[in-house]
Amino acid sequence: MLPVASLLILVPLIFAAVTFFTKTKTQAAGLAFLGSLATLGLTLYAYLKFDSSTAAMQFFESIEWIPSLGAKYSVGIDGISMPLILLNAIVIPFLILYSWNEDREAPNRFYGLILTMQAAVIGVFVALDFLVFYIFWELTLIPLFFMVNIWGGEKRVHASYKFFIYTHVASLVMLLGIFGLFYASWQQTGIPTFDIRELVSQFQFFESGLLRDAIFLSIIFGFLTKLPTFPFHSWLPDAYTEAPTAGSVLFILLKIGGYGLFRISLPMLPNTGSPRLIIMLLGFLGAFSILYGALVALRQKDLKRMIAYSSLSHMGFVILGSAGLVTLSVSGAMFQQFSHGLIMSILFMSAGAIQTNTGTRIINNLGGLAKKMPNLAVIMMLGFMASLGLPGLTGFIAEFLVLAFSYVNLPQFVLLALLAIVITAGYHLWAMQRAMFGVYNEKLGDVRDINSLQVFSMGIIALLVVYFGWNPNPVLNMMITNSEAIVSLAAALGV
Amino acid sequence: MENLMFLAPEITVAATGLIILFIGVFMSPRAKNTLGYLATLGILAALGLTVQSFGIEATMFSGTVSIDALSQFFKLVFLAVSLIVSLASIKYNENSDHTEEFYALVLFATLGMMVVASSNDFILLFCAFELASFATYALAGFEKQNPKSLEGAMKYFVIGAVSSALMLFGISFVYGATGTTSIPLIAENASLLAANPIGLVAVVLLIAGFGFKMALVPFHMWAPDAYQGSPSVVSSLLAAGSKKMGFVAAFRVFLIALAALQPDWQFAFALLAVVTMTFGNVVAVSQTSVKRMLAYSSLAQAGYIAMAFVVMTPMALTGGIFYTLAHAFMKGGAFIAAAAVVWMITTQRTGDLEVPDHLNNFRGLGKRMPLAALCMTVFVFALAGIPLTSGFMAKIVLFSSAIQAGMTWLAVIAILNSALSLFYYARLVRYMYFLPPEGKKISLPFPYAAALLLAAAGVLAMGLWPEPFLQWAMDAAHVLI
Repeated sequence: MLPVASLLILVPLIFAAVTFFTKTKTQAAGLAFLGSLATLGLTLYAYLKFDSSTAAMQFFESIEWIPSLGAKYSVGIDGISMPLILLNAIVIPFLILYSWNEDREAPNRFYGLILTMQAAVIGVFVALDFLVFYIFWELTLIPLFFMVNIWGGEKRVHASYKFFIYTHVASLVMLLGIFGLFYASWQQTGIPTFDIRELVSQFQFFESGLLRDAIFLSIIFGFLTKLPTFPFHSWLPDAYTEAPTAGSVLFILLKIGGYGLFRISLPMLPNTGSPRLIIMLLGFLGAFSILYGALVALRQKDLKRMIAYSSLSHMGFVILGSAGLVTLSVSGAMFQQFSHGLIMSILFMSAGAIQTNTGTRIINNLGGLAKKMPNLAVIMMLGFMASLGLPGLTGFIAEFLVLAFSYVNLPQFVLLALLAIVITAGYHLWAMQRAMFGVYNEKLGDVRDINSLQVFSMGIIALLVVYFGWNPNPVLNMMITNSEAIVSLAAALGV
Repeated sequence: MENLMFLAPEITVAATGLIILFIGVFMSPRAKNTLGYLATLGILAALGLTVQSFGIEATMFSGTVSIDALSQFFKLVFLAVSLIVSLASIKYNENSDHTEEFYALVLFATLGMMVVASSNDFILLFCAFELASFATYALAGFEKQNPKSLEGAMKYFVIGAVSSALMLFGISFVYGATGTTSIPLIAENASLLAANPIGLVAVVLLIAGFGFKMALVPFHMWAPDAYQGSPSVVSSLLAAGSKKMGFVAAFRVFLIALAALQPDWQFAFALLAVVTMTFGNVVAVSQTSVKRMLAYSSLAQAGYIAMAFVVMTPMALTGGIFYTLAHAFMKGGAFIAAAAVVWMITTQRTGDLEVPDHLNNFRGLGKRMPLAALCMTVFVFALAGIPLTSGFMAKIVLFSSAIQAGMTWLAVIAILNSALSLFYYARLVRYMYFLPPEGKKISLPFPYAAALLLAAAGVLAMGLWPEPFLQWAMDAAHVLI
């Protein structure tokens, strides 16, 4: 059998390295597209071979790396990582197609960084050793930093440094937590190991409840900042808005924060010193992020910034669903990550297209764009509908699962989040109405519609939103299998 | 009869230095270019002999010389630095009339450092310390026409001489209290020292003496000027090599000889480490001269390594020792890359000639000298502790050991510092790759290219496959505890 997990990292990485050395834009984009297609092929191969009826690790590989520290290069794929790998593998080729006709400086670096990013993100998803996990986790920073810093908007320097330093410091706090986990387990068992699953299961045997809380909180801090959630989100609006369209989409595909929650934090949660309190805290952060993101999005003038805040609002569902700790609420949270990746890709691509074709993103300066950009209007409308949670599209399934099943344990926070649903519908429709419909704003001059490659790439993603909206089972089933495993652990401990 | 084979690396280095000094007299400037290769070969041979002698435990010459895992590890560090430096200097010394002096000084400095690593007696330690110091004083002022070089060398010499005196004074107190200069014997009689207030005075004087070489704040004043003013290849030797001599000497003196006074010096080192790393990083942020920035970053790195004296678990010492080797490659390499840029600027006569290592001269280096820029990127990323480089592994082991020992505060300070340092390292990368070049593409001379690739290989090897290096560092740490 193919070592799929390693190949999923290596293939984009090798293509990225070669892409950096290309001379022309066509070469760079073409090579990157080939690389992303190869990754997609590998992912589909893994998906077809994948057994979604078991929560066990599949495609597992392990090689000794630093025996004296107990670090191994071990990778594998399970129901938590498979959908996210799939999401990445699907969106990246279309992202490259989408930006095919854009002219920019140093295209070789631009496309090379996209593939590097893909390799790093997939690396985080498949890593089963904390050291490997952390290495890929940090590696994701570099392409994003340069993406914003070089090809970003006006305030790109500020935004890129803010993002970099903010999330880097959060990662370092997480690293402290990992060290704590590593040494406490070393003391416990006498054997050093960085194996994620081993350390997570050793966690329950640490004697001091305070130590367990400290380790848990410092690790989850890294995840919550990356996700992000209120109140650790302030890097998000700047970075998402200043990034070029491809950069914004890469940010959207950066699902490593939520992934960390499912892979590491949730299995540890029941064993912390005060699980009830932490669940309440997470539930509150989730629900409040949903509400806060929606409220702030409501009053944004910049379309892209509005979408950025709506992203924050959506990420709240991931936390709320996780804190719900019921099989279906956790699955809903996982599905929200998948669905959000697809939907937000469409929205950021739309906002990017509006920016390049009209020269502005200020909602009030637009108006009646649907007349001039009918193709965009159709796809964007679908994206907005999915984003506000229209039944039949993926967003609805994710949010319904989270809200309906978190209610079991956290009714008060679900009620809080429900408030936000109305606001969410409101700002989406209002923005759509002002930007796309009504009388055409003649000041914009003659505006072109999006090009055929953009129609194609955004259209395919939109179709997937519809498809998974009707039939989520291809990814939802494996999520449910793994959520069950996580939740049964909590149930056994009576949390 | 002592088995001189154990000293084969030192003998090789000394002999090469003497031979170069002798035959250089009879050579024309053009022919002298071969001397660099001769020095490189000699160092390579010594390196091979050192690696071969790993695992040997012996004391020689009435117990004054100790061959153990610690000494051999540090000899490896010194020889590696010296190898990179002598290789890169081939270009620097091209058609110079003083080539033989330069190489002889580099080799004698290396010899001094190697003997320090093996010293088991204060007298030998001091003599070797001075041998290395005098050679480096001369090297720092090697560009006799360059006022900056002379200024740096002068500062280095004056402050160096004072701190040597302080160190000697400290040694005399230790001798007065214990009646011996042998490090193991002092350790045995440590109760005499601990009971006596003189012990505290000795500790203070010795910290000041070694702190100078390690460039810990507040004994660092000479370092930025000397590193900036010296020829870049010499800065590389100073920052990557002679600084480590201070560390190995301090390891032996404090952890073995003065272990009984631990409460006294542990606190001092905690303070020094925190102040040094913070000061170094904060000041480095505002530097526009790359060599000066590297000098301050070198302070910061010394601050990290000094954490080993504070935490003092086997893990921390392993980390500290591992860090010295990692730092040798990354800092040594970074200065060589700066040397290549200085060479480019002075031969092309474009850019900022006043300050040839100015940040502006690094603009678009990725297009002008792709290899130098790539290697520099590897080095600064390693210094910043980006994963898959030696710096990352070193920091992982060292910082995490502080957590293991329950000193979370120290780990937090170190990690925040590390995050801060990323700022100025990333800025250099931005200049090299994302600003337009000012001048045409130039091919990198072979000696620089070879030295850079060697250092980069070391950085990546330690980052990707740290196991053998960690094992060596662990063995070395066991000598101390």
